[in-house]
Amino acid sequence: MSYEMIALLMFSSMMMSMLTGQRVFAAIGFVGVVAAAVLWGNGGFELGFSAGMKLMKWYPLLTLPLFIFMGYMLSESGIAEDLYKAFHVWMGGLPGGLAVGTIGLMVVISAMNGLSVAGMAIGATIALPELLKRGYDKIMVSGVIQAGSSLGILVPPSVVLVLYGMIARQPVGKLWIAGVFPGLLLAFLFVVYIVIRCKINPSLGPALPKEERNMPLVEKLKLLRAGILPFVIFFLMMGLFVMGVTSLVESSAVGALSALAAAAIKGRLNWAMWNRVLEQTLGISCMFMWIILAALCFGAVFDGLGAVKAIEHLLVDELGMSPWQILIMMQISYLIMGTFLDDTAMLVIVAPLYIPLVGKLGFDLIWYGVLYTITCQVAYMTPPFGYNLFLMRAMAPPEITLVDIYRSIVPFVAIMLVGLAIIMAFPEIATWLPAHVYVKG
Amino acid sequence: QDKKITWRLQTYAGAALAEEVVRPCVNAFNKAANGEMEIELYTADQLVPTGELFRAMQAGTIDAVQSDDDSMNSPVDIKVFGGYFPFASRFSLDVPTLFYQYGLDKIWEEAYDEVGVKWLSAGAWDPCNFSTNKPIKSLEDLKGLRVFTFPTAGKFLTQFGVVPVTIPFEDVPVAMQTGEIDAIAWSGITEMKTSGWEEVTKYFLTNNISGGWCGSFFANGDRWKEVPEHLQQLWRVCMDSSHYRRLHWYWGGEASLRAGGSSLELTTIPAEEWKTVEEKAYAFWDEIAAQSERNAKVVKILKDYQAVMEKAGSPYR
Amino acid sequence: MPDAIKTYVHVVDAFNRRVGRIVMYGIFVMMGILLYSSISKTMFLPAHWTLEMAQFVMAGYYLLGGAYSLQLDSHVRMDLIYGRWSPRTKAAVDAVTIMMLFVYLFFLLYGGISSTAYALQYTETSYSSWSPYMAPVKIVMVIGIALTFLQATSIFFKDLAVAMGRPLA
Ligand code: NA
Ligand code: NA
Repeated sequence: MSYEMIALLMFSSMMMSMLTGQRVFAAIGFVGVVAAAVLWGNGGFELGFSAGMKLMKWYPLLTLPLFIFMGYMLSESGIAEDLYKAFHVWMGGLPGGLAVGTIGLMVVISAMNGLSVAGMAIGATIALPELLKRGYDKIMVSGVIQAGSSLGILVPPSVVLVLYGMIARQPVGKLWIAGVFPGLLLAFLFVVYIVIRCKINPSLGPALPKEERNMPLVEKLKLLRAGILPFVIFFLMMGLFVMGVTSLVESSAVGALSALAAAAIKGRLNWAMWNRVLEQTLGISCMFMWIILAALCFGAVFDGLGAVKAIEHLLVDELGMSPWQILIMMQISYLIMGTFLDDTAMLVIVAPLYIPLVGKLGFDLIWYGVLYTITCQVAYMTPPFGYNLFLMRAMAPPEITLVDIYRSIVPFVAIMLVGLAIIMAFPEIATWLPAHVYVKG
Repeated sequence: QDKKITWRLQTYAGAALAEEVVRPCVNAFNKAANGEMEIELYTADQLVPTGELFRAMQAGTIDAVQSDDDSMNSPVDIKVFGGYFPFASRFSLDVPTLFYQYGLDKIWEEAYDEVGVKWLSAGAWDPCNFSTNKPIKSLEDLKGLRVFTFPTAGKFLTQFGVVPVTIPFEDVPVAMQTGEIDAIAWSGITEMKTSGWEEVTKYFLTNNISGGWCGSFFANGDRWKEVPEHLQQLWRVCMDSSHYRRLHWYWGGEASLRAGGSSLELTTIPAEEWKTVEEKAYAFWDEIAAQSERNAKVVKILKDYQAVMEKAGSPYR
Repeated sequence: MPDAIKTYVHVVDAFNRRVGRIVMYGIFVMMGILLYSSISKTMFLPAHWTLEMAQFVMAGYYLLGGAYSLQLDSHVRMDLIYGRWSPRTKAAVDAVTIMMLFVYLFFLLYGGISSTAYALQYTETSYSSWSPYMAPVKIVMVIGIALTFLQATSIFFKDLAVAMGRPLA
């Protein structure tokens, strides 16, 4: 059998195994170890564990559990409630204003954390009940929270961009900075969408009654103090890293510590919360790490089969596609795979196949990192498989059904695709800032 | 006709560097073997992490390795001499001379036979210099630097306040930018350019801690025995051609890049001051010699060789 | 289900829960090491062991925590089809497809034991200037994988019980 056939067989067996509904890491790992054993005999028996040693040496992964801890700590710290109250009073008067405020909240949370976990947790526990209570349309708000939280990986800091940077060998600091404007652009597009829809149909997001937000301007301004702690956390983590005081993994530890300190300052630390945060951190860290462990084994076999060369051969020589055609095809294939595949696994298995080719075709790998991240966001959100969907289902109140959740993401995915197209057409949105701001990282 | 033999050979060099230091000889071998045997080349950490290279080869996960003994973490006493044993060589030609005229080859063969791996052939690469983001002009400047370097070289350098860090080869440029490391003490200037590390550093220290990297080709003992004699011979010729190509590739590269072909700014620690590093190295040699009888034998050979070179004078020393 | 299996499931679950509840504090160990690293870097000479030590702790954290994470059902599944089934059908299918998990864990365990045996036989040290002994971390990794394997067997029995319509409490 040719190597291409084996690679194809491996990929399709992985998809089939996942369709059974067994845990994703088990499906990927199973195909990986069996393929290694079949192809390489005795010598391949140890490839699964060898991936464990590889994972251990992949130092940026240390940021993962620390960011997860930080996310859960932030969501319990009370910072978000204060922020939300400020957005509430300042934006509540607009039709759909609370939903707009939720997007604002998500941008601030995204600037404090590298994953979408924090945004999801905060959105589902703090924003969602409030929005439903005010008579907001449940489908729209479910979409708002998922789309908003997905900004966590685009607005710096971002774990996805860290892993991308390691695979593409691009400076993480520049990648992070590159995500600023695209992140704000997406947030802006979300807001425009919400405002327009609520203008047309005010019942989707009724404005708050005057008495609820009627307070003296001084009081209103005082509410803005809610932004101080997030700013301090952002600075401790991002500022110190960009200035070169802390290294990347150290800055994630600083971030985790500062979230802990914030919770302590707000008087939120107690035994029950402590246990909840630590347990969730362990559970979600294990989920990611075991998927990466399995995907590294799968990826090593895949790599051993020369999949990179095969793809390059297919796209460049056989199909004779132009660089832009290849790039667009890659994005489309990512989007399709992303609906079915876990994006962490996709990062470890597929990104190493594509990224070298993107570089060879002469595209800017910082810019591509942003495009890549947005496709990851879409992958998160699109059924049947999406991590945000998974979290949303676990956290949303029963009145929001699975169908509601699926329907809710449609307009937001469409907006993200528009954003993706805009950034493809105008790369400066991503590349201007890193070219003009000096970052050490 | 027997079944075609396929070998997985993993080099410790990264993808870009591997194109220069090992790909040509593998391609030549595959062509000359005419379908009887094929060597598939994998680069740093591709199939197994570099620190696991030895064990993976012993277990048969891979069939052959190109690396220095130190980097592949060989479970043999003499592994410390692989890579950059401080001041063991001044020029790259010293390495093959030590192996094939002063008898290191016999010692290596014996050591690896004990652990089920076939040592095949040793050769030299480039010298070991520091590349940094701040200029190094005195030993004082080395203090506190987190440096990506070889394990044994790193141990030696700690006495000058250097903090050695080991990470996967391909992660070096990003680690330089994320602040996990401050400097690289891994190679000469040719590799800095080829591996793309030139873009993440500014300065190149011309003083080196060793004039020639010392590393080898190895194979799993059983796999080697399965290769028919004529193909064994062919692979030996190809390994030699690889050593030869590297000799002139590095020798010419170092000179032309220092002479203005590189964006790195050259700095130098005065020879008098650098002499103290060299003296410390000889004390380090004695420490290593005390570790085992075999190590003592190697150190004696190094000293004998050193004496001959001193006596011969210019251009040798 | 026979009593012996009930006891087995109970013991495995209780033990792994205990281990998980301890291991979850590992996040503070990682945090502490990295904070020490950044403080030592600014105040005095940086330490050469911090990054590697944090990596060892990370390996222990997610592997020793593996069993408890299975117990908490933290692992994502693709539930395109799976999500529509009744709990009983889910359990029945899981009881079959969990074989994939067993096979994967078996190979992990095999490689782990072999690698640990090697580390002990040759007193392997890490490929770094700090060069700590590798056996301790490998032993921890193997224990983590083994506990995860035991947890998988416990889950298998529980799924089987649900599939047969007699769930274990
Ligand atoms: Na973020
Ligand atoms: Na998806």
